Amino acid sequence: MATPGQLMFARGLGPTARLLIWLLIGLSFVVLDVRYRALDGLRSGFSVLLQPVRETLRAPGDIVAELGGFFTRHRLLQKERDALLAERAQLMLGVNAAQDLGRENAELRTLLQLRARPGQQVVRAALLYKGHDWFSQRITLDQGAGTGLRSGLPVVDAEGLVGQLSRVYPGSSEVTLVSSPGQLTPVVVERTGQRGLAAGGGQGQLELRYMPAQTDIQVGDRLLTSGIDRVYPAGIPVARVSRVSRSQSSPYLRVECVPLAGLEHSRSVLVLVADTQVTKP
Amino acid sequence: MSPADQNHGSWRRILGTLFLAVLLEQMPWTGWGLALRPDFVLVGVLFWSLHQPARIGFTTAFLLGLLADFQDGVVFGQHAIGYVVGVYLLLFLRLRLLQFDPLRQAAQLFPILLTVQLTVLLVGWLAVNPPADLAVLLPVISGTVLWYLVAGFQRLWHGKGMQDRA
Repeated sequence: MATPGQLMFARGLGPTARLLIWLLIGLSFVVLDVRYRALDGLRSGFSVLLQPVRETLRAPGDIVAELGGFFTRHRLLQKERDALLAERAQLMLGVNAAQDLGRENAELRTLLQLRARPGQQVVRAALLYKGHDWFSQRITLDQGAGTGLRSGLPVVDAEGLVGQLSRVYPGSSEVTLVSSPGQLTPVVVERTGQRGLAAGGGQGQLELRYMPAQTDIQVGDRLLTSGIDRVYPAGIPVARVSRVSRSQSSPYLRVECVPLAGLEHSRSVLVLVADTQVTKP
Repeated sequence: MSPADQNHGSWRRILGTLFLAVLLEQMPWTGWGLALRPDFVLVGVLFWSLHQPARIGFTTAFLLGLLADFQDGVVFGQHAIGYVVGVYLLLFLRLRLLQFDPLRQAAQLFPILLTVQLTVLLVGWLAVNPPADLAVLLPVISGTVLWYLVAGFQRLWHGKGMQDRA
């Protein structure tokens, strides 16, 4: 298809040659990113460019949610309020007891001259974006390095552990979900105190790995973070055991778990920012 | 394509639709919406490289692929390579596609889109779990040598080769 002003046969490179050139460039991008981590600047650039766009485009969803909330039935609100008041009273009891225990614990720690546990701050963040990925499950939050987030911090919601920050940009950050394939979480079985390793299995599932066949574990047991990794604080609920099966070929039990946090639907989460604690082994 | 199509007004239309596609992908899709969401940017790039191949082609596809890599938080290059392969396949089938009605065009686009997704999957898999060594590729070389031997043997046996008989 000769256009005016162009020679009919001098057409430059054909599509196949151009495809090969672009494939080479693409492969070099992959290598640069995977081997040398050289493209983090490009990532931050995209993040700075797209951040305002995403903030703006979140508005339609928020407006729909607001409208839905506006038309909630009055009766329903009253019922919910009563339930919340009752729950609050119950929680206050627990808080009082916890404060008492905390005081006692602090005194005992000074008596024993143990180092105080590192303090903890909480940063609220909201879901900004969710992407497709074949190999891991990630969500993007609207808080970033500007509010003191670092890569590696745990992210929780009201029900339990959501995941771990894997990349932090100036104004946003990416969370790798606990159910993401390859994401490991050291856990402890709440009922028995047995330690284990929960690995994400994709499709919103976790798997408790390397449990010997005679382990006492039942459907319904809760798994909490064990805290031995110094990444997650101890005692955050992670998952509930949904199926235990024995296989003939493996010395370990096959334990499937369902994460407790609302990985798919929680719109606002908390990031636990622990003070940096430098320990030398 | 008439020269009237190529006035400078259509640049604005091309960039406008691609920008709109990027915006649509930035919305916070979740659940079934996310699962069913078409790759608006890819469809836009393929559409314009079908109708305006002099303007939209490999370069645009590659750059928008990098953007897609960022927004999914994956290794840079996965979607870029996938989109470039998609544009190549589309250019390969271009003259045929332009003669089809929309239904047949869509049917022809299905394998192209599938190939793009599979390319993204393959590149991502190679990037996340790189193979331990490249010895799996050695049969390719030995197979080529074997082909040479077989073809040479056949030529020796039957005289000058099969194509001379026709």
